[in-house]
Amino acid sequence: MTLLRNPVAQKRWQRFKQSRRGYISAWLLLVLTTLSFGAELLANHRPLLVSYQGELYFPTFGAQHSGKDFGLDIDYEPNYRELQKQFRDAGEGNWVLMPPIPFGPLENDLIAGDFPPHAPSLTTRHYLGTDTSGRDVLARLIYGFRTAMLFSLVLLVFNYAIGVAIGCMMGYWGGAFDLFFQRIIEIWSNVPFLYVIMIVASIITPGFWTLLFIMAFFGWTAMTWYMRTATYKEVSRDYVMAARALGASGSRIVFRHILPNSVSTLITFVPFSVASGITALTALDYLGFGLPAPTPSWGELLKQGTENMESLWLVGSVVVAMTLILMLVAYVGEAIRDAYDPRKFSFYE
Amino acid sequence: MPTIHENSASMNKRLSQLLLLFVAAFPLWLYAGEDAKLPEQLPANLSWQTNLSDPFFASPEAKRGGRFRSFITTFPLTLRLVGPDSNGSFASYMRANHLGLVGIHPNTLNPIPELATHWAFGDDGHSLYYRLDPDARWSDGKPVTADDYLFALQFMRSKFILAPWYNNHYNTVILDVVKYDDHTIGILGSVAKPRDEMLFEYSISPVPAHFHKLDENWVRDYNWKIAPNTGPYVIDTIRKGKYIEFRRKQDWWGNDKRYFQHRFNPDFLRVKLIRDINIAYQYFRKGELDSFPLLMPRLWHKKAQGRIFEQGYAGKIKFYNSVPRPISGLFLNEDAPLLSDRNVRYAIAHALNIDKVINTVLHGDYERLQTAHEGYGDYSNPDIRAREFDLDKANRLLNDAGWDTRGPDGIRQKDGQRLSIRVTYYSSGHNDRLVILAQEARKAGIELSLQLLDPSAAFKQILENKHQAAWMAWSGGGLSPRYWQFYHSDNAHKPQTNNVTNTDNPEIDAKIDAYRAATDKVSRVKLAHELEQLVFEQGSFIPTFKVPYTREAFWRWLKLPDFHGTRSTDSLFDPLGSTGGLFWIDSDEQQRVDEAKSRNKALDPVMIVNKRWAANDE
Amino acid sequence: MLGYFVRRGLLIIPTFIGITLLVFSITRVVPGGPIERMMTQAQLGGEAGSLHRSEGGGTLSDEQLEELKRYYGFDKPLLSSYASWLKQVLRFDLGLSTRYQDPVWDIIKERFPVSVFYGVTTLVLTYLVCIPLGLLKGMYHGSRFDNLSSAVVFLGYALPSYVIGIALISVFAGYYDWFPLGGFVSDNFEELSPLAKAKDVFHHAALPLIAYLAGSFAVTTLMMKNALMDNLSADYMRTAAAKGLSLGKSVRRHALRNSLIPVATSFGNNISLLIGGSFLIETIFNIDGIGLLGYEAIIERDYPIVMGILVISSLLYLIGNILSDICVAIVDPRIRFGGGSR
Repeated sequence: MTLLRNPVAQKRWQRFKQSRRGYISAWLLLVLTTLSFGAELLANHRPLLVSYQGELYFPTFGAQHSGKDFGLDIDYEPNYRELQKQFRDAGEGNWVLMPPIPFGPLENDLIAGDFPPHAPSLTTRHYLGTDTSGRDVLARLIYGFRTAMLFSLVLLVFNYAIGVAIGCMMGYWGGAFDLFFQRIIEIWSNVPFLYVIMIVASIITPGFWTLLFIMAFFGWTAMTWYMRTATYKEVSRDYVMAARALGASGSRIVFRHILPNSVSTLITFVPFSVASGITALTALDYLGFGLPAPTPSWGELLKQGTENMESLWLVGSVVVAMTLILMLVAYVGEAIRDAYDPRKFSFYE
Repeated sequence: MPTIHENSASMNKRLSQLLLLFVAAFPLWLYAGEDAKLPEQLPANLSWQTNLSDPFFASPEAKRGGRFRSFITTFPLTLRLVGPDSNGSFASYMRANHLGLVGIHPNTLNPIPELATHWAFGDDGHSLYYRLDPDARWSDGKPVTADDYLFALQFMRSKFILAPWYNNHYNTVILDVVKYDDHTIGILGSVAKPRDEMLFEYSISPVPAHFHKLDENWVRDYNWKIAPNTGPYVIDTIRKGKYIEFRRKQDWWGNDKRYFQHRFNPDFLRVKLIRDINIAYQYFRKGELDSFPLLMPRLWHKKAQGRIFEQGYAGKIKFYNSVPRPISGLFLNEDAPLLSDRNVRYAIAHALNIDKVINTVLHGDYERLQTAHEGYGDYSNPDIRAREFDLDKANRLLNDAGWDTRGPDGIRQKDGQRLSIRVTYYSSGHNDRLVILAQEARKAGIELSLQLLDPSAAFKQILENKHQAAWMAWSGGGLSPRYWQFYHSDNAHKPQTNNVTNTDNPEIDAKIDAYRAATDKVSRVKLAHELEQLVFEQGSFIPTFKVPYTREAFWRWLKLPDFHGTRSTDSLFDPLGSTGGLFWIDSDEQQRVDEAKSRNKALDPVMIVNKRWAANDE
Repeated sequence: MLGYFVRRGLLIIPTFIGITLLVFSITRVVPGGPIERMMTQAQLGGEAGSLHRSEGGGTLSDEQLEELKRYYGFDKPLLSSYASWLKQVLRFDLGLSTRYQDPVWDIIKERFPVSVFYGVTTLVLTYLVCIPLGLLKGMYHGSRFDNLSSAVVFLGYALPSYVIGIALISVFAGYYDWFPLGGFVSDNFEELSPLAKAKDVFHHAALPLIAYLAGSFAVTTLMMKNALMDNLSADYMRTAAAKGLSLGKSVRRHALRNSLIPVATSFGNNISLLIGGSFLIETIFNIDGIGLLGYEAIIERDYPIVMGILVISSLLYLIGNILSDICVAIVDPRIRFGGGSR
């Protein structure tokens, strides 16, 4: 954490905090992401707590309870919302505590006498309605957000790690190495991405990690260009020349001098990379080349929404959610940029 | 994509031509023999038949004129009838304008004259003779003669057309075509068959000999050439990427023929390219399309609502028909380790809550398909009901099969293996059905893991037998069910066959061989019923849905006969084809609607449900 | 420096071969090629019944499969068929589309005007809006105008363009009859006078352009704003302020030109816009553009078209990269390309 202790970083942090909009957005984003990682406690068809015959059960995590555990004659998982009602009606002191959104992201709650998608309603507790197979939109939004966020964050780590490493090497060594990797990158960025997904999909069902690796496999190139240019710039600066003249080794120059100076600027790209990770996954899901059904995903909701424009809550909730998250990310990005750019209009204020 | 798909079957309109395209490699012993030949002279003892006594099925009130506007979602890649990419959604328009020798009466299902006025059967049981209608003309005015049929055989057998299925069919099913005079031909089929089947399978459509030049460039050279045809319309304008317009032949040779009267009424047909179904509906709503298919529940219930219907400017019609249903369902691969156990297959069938899917996401509009072959009249076995959703039965079967413990996730296990079945499917529109089935199946301790592939990749996997369970539909059709290609062990355990369940059961084999050898209808029907029962007991095909009707929205100026459609109608506002061309455009009504629309005056709402042919189905 | 760019130019050749060879090999591996597609089309059914049986069924003999393979060019080994493809390309022959049977070049050429029209119009409009907007935002950083316009720009950035497209067409073409329901020009375009033609094109283009533009403002606007703010803090601005120039004047006279530089450096890559276009927007608005052509070719496995578009797009991309480098070199003389640092 030397980065944070150094005075420049601290000043930046101060400036970041001064940009109210970005600062609040960052907090909001952090809270939302943290909350989504506890999604099982927010939106779930399994209750937080069941008290049955004096014993407490925590069905949220762990093995699935069969209905027999709660005095029902079924050996599959009971519908806990109905169980809650039964316990209440029976009045034997048993009770069920459901999460605020009592639906799981995969559960089809089909309301008799109406066809899905069901409209939002407080009485059914589908606060944003259901999708075309009766799954709660809000629950799917939350879980979908978690998937998308996780996806883009992990993707970001991969892309930056590879991109920065290769970009630095290209800029530092230059010459044949630089030329060779430039060609590789140019070749890479021209491969029709969809084909690769199709080939993989025909062999295995593309899951979260498969998709991530494919995206990282092709995604690292964007960072490389920037790092290459940045390293070139730094290498030609006087201090690197000086360090070299003093006999510093190549790796020392890269890690001590070039990286800290260029990586700091990299942080300004992070929010936009997060945003593009989210939109890329959404677009893939929208086209049907993304995560397999029934994984909750924003892209799938969007697809349903655009096909069912009459059911406005579908397209409405996912577009609002997406806009909100991307705007928060963009504001954070703006604030980070401001923080890195100390120059104010001192001359005209 | 789902929308396109669900309508694609109804777009195959041209009956006889398509019927005869069904190809299966016949085992050699079924051949009539290498030396089978048609006699050199026309046999004297032929009893010529025709059919001018069935009721005609168009309305005498029909008025000629107007322009009918419809849409396609992809622009055709060629105007050829055969060869690469000739099978798109536009192909039905092209094929419908090329008549066959005989047609099928859409209500009585009897043969009716088209290009042939009379037909007769040879003594050997597999040769046919046709008298050609001397009035028949190509669109360039040249008469249609026996030579065009001889050329057709040569054409269809040619390597240059790059259509291997046709090559196969016209070598192995149609053995020969002989000209006796300018208007009499004979056709030799491969095996003896019931007479009504033969009429459609041993048939050939003429190909204009004076138009084609067969060489290795044929596919490319004839890609956009407008070939002379025999049907009522001819292509007038092509604007690539925009629309194609047909013009009615005013002095069409068929105008006064019994079964062509009062049909094919619009003067022009404009087929516009609209790639997105939602946008296409906007065109309809603005009155720029005359009709709009509403087969999908979402379209019928949610999309087709609002002012134009409330005010009665446009109407909706739901018309029950009685035709062979596509074989749609879950095909279990018996070669997959988990599915070789019959009890497991039965259990899966009992764990699929098809009714729940029908009553929820399908708006109660679809019906349960009970057997693989419905809508074949007498051939269909009405006594078989598909296995119903029953968790108790599923649980018992699975316990018996040794899958008696459940893992922590509620999925059954045996010897450390989970009861997880991979379901391959190819239409993202079926997501909502499958996720419900998967959720319900969990209750029985079965996991269905869904694998969506694009259609060609899915099909490749299935044909290579690399699937566990395939969620798919085969197109139905024909006059009687087919068993050999789907269930005979000849086709099991090898790639590129239609036996995707890898059914390999000697009892079924024997029955199929008997069925294929039988020529009289009574024994064929009996065998078909027994076969259907055996297939049911095999349990590797789980039937799912059928749609026993067609639904459309239409502007009020489109008029239909009082009976709306025929038993075989698969699209009410089909301007062409053997059951099509019944509607007409009423220009007075059009004025009235326009006037009412501009004054915001309401007309009586139009909502038609016609069940005349509904009961006959099952 | 000149030597460097000459070398860069020459390096296009191996890169181009690398790209095309890689994709060419991929097309051999992708499942569901034209032959399998033919078989699929013939056999899959829908849900509605009909009396008619469709074409297909049965199996093909090996000989027939060979025949088809020969037709589609899959009979030769990978490298030799790549070599013959490349030889054709060098003669400016991109081959025949397996779906349209027409020369690939003709098909692409046919769609050029559409893509160029949308590409160039989007580009021009983006710069026309973003440069002044970015300048104003930079000059009045932190003001209500800045905040508000940021919100609007980000909103456009966050909304998927196809959602915007469907919404626009439903409201302004479906509900209100203000614009046509898609298409590039009217059906009777040929018969119109030149003035009416231009009007017709823009009448059709209005909605798709909005859909295209909505997302494209954010990046350039912010780039412009940041560049201006960098320059506003430069020493020469202090001098300008000291001289008593007003903010507007000093921006116009001094900062503007320097701030345009980063925007200009990204210009090189824009030449690939010539064959750009989003297939989703093109589908919604019924536009026969290259985006849709490319997507359909990928989905329907029309390999000659896929390769044809790749040839053009990769060349544009490679040239664009060099152009960008040239721009960077001109702008910032401190950078020494290619020399390395040994």
